[in-house]
Amino acid sequence: MVEGRANRYDAIVIGGGHNGLTCASYLARAGKRVVVLEKRRILGGAAVTEEIYPGFKFSVASYVVSLLRPEIIRELDLVRHGLAVLPVDGTLTPLDDDYLWRVDDHGVTVRELRRWSKRDAEAYEEYSVLMAEMARFVKPLLGEAPGRPGASPWVGLAKRFAALPESQQTTFIQLLTMSSADFVSQWFETEPLRATLSASGIIGTFLGPRSPGSAYVLLHHYMGEVDGEYRSWGLPVGGTGAISGAIGAAARELGAEIRTDAPVARIKTRAGKATGVVLESGEEISAPVVISSADVRVTLGRLLESGTLADDDAQAVSRYKFRGSSAKVNFALAGLPTFSCLPPGTTDVYRGMVSISPSVDYIERAYDDAVDGRFSRSPYIDMGFPSAIDPSVAPPGKHVMACFVQYAPYELAEGTWDSQREALGDTVQATIAKYAPGFESLVLHRQTLTPLDIERTFGLSEGNIFQGELLLEQLFSGRPTPGAGYTTPVRGLWLCGSSTHPGGAISGAPGRNAAREVLRAWKRAS
Amino acid sequence: MSARRPQGWDAIVVGAGHNGLVCAAYLGLAGLRVLVLEKRESVGGMATTSEILPGVRVPTLAHTVGRMSAKVMRDLRLRDHGLTLIQPGVRVFAPGPGGGATVLWADASKTAVGLGKDGDAYLAADRLVRQLGTALGELMGRAPVDLGAPTLADSVRSLRSPARSSSAELLRYMPMAVRDLVGEWFASDALQAAVAARGVLLTGLAPRMPGTAGVLLADLAGNDGGLAGQSVFARGGPGAVADALASAVTAAGGEIRLGAAVAKVRRDGDQARGVALASGEEINAPIVVSNLDPRTTLLDLVDPEVLGPRLGWRAGNIRAHGVTAKVNFALSDIPAFTAAKGNVQLLQGRILVAPSMRHLDLAMRAAKYGDLAQEPLLEVTMPSLLDPDLVAPTGRGKASKVRHVMSVIAQAAPFSVNARELGDIVTATLEAYAPGIGDLVVQRQVITPRDIEGEYGASGGHPMHAEVALDQFYAWRPLHGLGRYRMPLRGLYLAGAGAHPGGGVTGLPGRLAAAAVLEDRGRKVRT
Repeated sequence: MVEGRANRYDAIVIGGGHNGLTCASYLARAGKRVVVLEKRRILGGAAVTEEIYPGFKFSVASYVVSLLRPEIIRELDLVRHGLAVLPVDGTLTPLDDDYLWRVDDHGVTVRELRRWSKRDAEAYEEYSVLMAEMARFVKPLLGEAPGRPGASPWVGLAKRFAALPESQQTTFIQLLTMSSADFVSQWFETEPLRATLSASGIIGTFLGPRSPGSAYVLLHHYMGEVDGEYRSWGLPVGGTGAISGAIGAAARELGAEIRTDAPVARIKTRAGKATGVVLESGEEISAPVVISSADVRVTLGRLLESGTLADDDAQAVSRYKFRGSSAKVNFALAGLPTFSCLPPGTTDVYRGMVSISPSVDYIERAYDDAVDGRFSRSPYIDMGFPSAIDPSVAPPGKHVMACFVQYAPYELAEGTWDSQREALGDTVQATIAKYAPGFESLVLHRQTLTPLDIERTFGLSEGNIFQGELLLEQLFSGRPTPGAGYTTPVRGLWLCGSSTHPGGAISGAPGRNAAREVLRAWKRAS
Repeated sequence: MSARRPQGWDAIVVGAGHNGLVCAAYLGLAGLRVLVLEKRESVGGMATTSEILPGVRVPTLAHTVGRMSAKVMRDLRLRDHGLTLIQPGVRVFAPGPGGGATVLWADASKTAVGLGKDGDAYLAADRLVRQLGTALGELMGRAPVDLGAPTLADSVRSLRSPARSSSAELLRYMPMAVRDLVGEWFASDALQAAVAARGVLLTGLAPRMPGTAGVLLADLAGNDGGLAGQSVFARGGPGAVADALASAVTAAGGEIRLGAAVAKVRRDGDQARGVALASGEEINAPIVVSNLDPRTTLLDLVDPEVLGPRLGWRAGNIRAHGVTAKVNFALSDIPAFTAAKGNVQLLQGRILVAPSMRHLDLAMRAAKYGDLAQEPLLEVTMPSLLDPDLVAPTGRGKASKVRHVMSVIAQAAPFSVNARELGDIVTATLEAYAPGIGDLVVQRQVITPRDIEGEYGASGGHPMHAEVALDQFYAWRPLHGLGRYRMPLRGLYLAGAGAHPGGGVTGLPGRLAAAAVLEDRGRKVRT
């Protein structure tokens, strides 16, 4: 009896990533009996800190935070549960013999821009204000279930849109439709500025900066806020795993049960309705509601017995595009790299990010390599130095450095990722060394995560960090399939991962929205 | 006639491109006294036929006219004004490098038989395209909804049922990359490319770019061509469309002046009151309709004071980087396309050099960097096969050797491409599919994007007046707030390809601009 009861829950959440944990927290908060089942030994999914090399703690996959919804931090009391975010200040774009360096201090940045272009320095203010307005306009959408086209959230949006000043209407339309390079080029003529700004539009998506649709991805990255400041990035103390740790602690305190080393093999259904899961160990757990934070292909393709979905539904799932295009390279360093373009002794740079994005053409050609089925010979790299901000993640005097790399296409035209992994790592290392001579000699250890590794380790299909590309047809009510929202064709089976609106990054919004939808459905049913 | 009423025009249309003429004809039929002013010495703009050699005529730029609105044809009685259309059964012949070919026929089931494994998928996609085309055709035939209006929801509701009932599908398909769309439909790479080519033709976009599916669907909408599209020729070349329209304008009481370049739109405060010609002559009218591209219209014709700095900045950001070139040939014989295996009938429609998705990728990749594609995307027609009168050489010179003409749309070509280099690359590319074609060339005419800007006035040399992309589309073509034909000066309207529903020989922007003019005049028109 005792055992039987232990294995009966109101809801099962598959996956202990930050969205799964968020969803479970909200369900527990509403008094539901919830269990979270995590495949790995550690929680966090792609928001995870691991000591890959003794003394060096890597935020293995996602490495900065800004999109975590403030209401989640508040409602789940995450600060009390240990969440502490340190600001990341500035972005340096090194060039062969010059640099562009923007920092949070607006006056300093404007002075730096004036060095490049007076016009750009003037436009920067207007641009920053406009983007903050846009983030404010879009923000309510993040917390809403997307619904079907024509349904009420859309009418609300149309009304709010009509109320915007025309200049903001224009910008909103442009953000939904333009390429990020075209978008930013309206304001700026400085090439490294155009490139570095538009690079935010390619993250996690198989698009170049000149591909329409990338401006939306740019906006997606502007929606973040740290302490109410839009477009500011932060570094969680202890790495991104600390976020998952805090949410996990909240979930536990609210009464959720969390099990690690509990890989789900199959979702059980009866007569088109979810009834529970079977673990790889053979253990069966029953619940009338199963919520998966795994991506839509894993959930509906792999965890459901084939034939469960109708052909049309299966086709819709198969049409959802992943196309992982990014890699991650983590370095353990004996010291911080010295960028030759900066005056000797410059140390402020390590408090921010360094972006290898000298020109739009540079990134576009990096994209062309991916189209040709190979990793970029000269990749876009966004690097950070977590240990310079949070010394707890590396031994004294030593450092960790996180490099987000694009492009690395999941599908290679020739060879396999297992044979090309180190070649990619070498290319990234050599690219950095071009701007930081002697970089190689600092490297104590290197961890290269190809899209294949991201898929294997984190269960993200095709290694897409957003659980599916942020393409226009895969946004809002189109995500993951038209009209689905957080539901699936299987009654009682829900999605709460980044495959659902509003998509990827450490925001927690899919998890929170899904929990609310599940609770509403419960209410309706009772 | 004009001398008797020098100040008596109700409306001036700037530019006698086909949309300008359509607009003028509608206004004339509504009882307005209309004057059309054309800079060049002939009407038609980019819908024109020219002599490449004495007595040998080619479609100078546009070569097919199948997207011409049936409603415009009827309303303006273009057949009565001498327009004859010719349509072959073959729509698309897309030869492959190995001697095979993808052939799309007017009859979808005939196409399906030839496609083998993809046959059923083709029929399904053809049905889908026809269904979406009905909805999209409805949207394209009407002025866009007013997004700025507080009654946006009402405006959307006012759309007729086909557009409404297909809105979920349209929302999914329009923003997609055409490569992904054809990838959902077909297994054959050659078939994918033959269909996807229309998603990037006459644009600077690559097939992996979001929104190109929308370009394809819009191209296929509003007519009965289905997935194969139309391959319609005007007898006498595309200039015959312009001639029929000019005849319609005159019949409706309008007047057309050639060699009359407009320099400025004149105004009283915020009200247009006529134009000033480059010659210095001033002509008055309370309504001015511009058939020019939106950049030229806003930045050159209108007083910068009217625009103000913000709108001026926005107008300057309208993207119009043309990468489409045109190469016309006079040939001594019909070229021997290997894949046609001697069947000349296959060459009567559109011949597409787009043998693979890779070819499309690389041809349009060049556009991103301002390079010339080494193997361009080509759309070729041989109008003389169906319209032999195009070749009536006079004299005993070179012209006497000509038997056929061939018209080639080529991309991507940079704005300042060297004409000879471009011509040679096009000839060399064709040589791979029709060996010996180079030896048949009697005369070659190369028109670069720079020529399109210089000769036809299209800013940036873009054949569609403004890039056909999601951000310059529908209610925000050419700009949000100016998507309903009315320009910032009261009485000034936009009637060209830079207005909804965009470029191509459709007549729709012209018709919808005329409707806007008449709507603003209220009942006064009818009295």
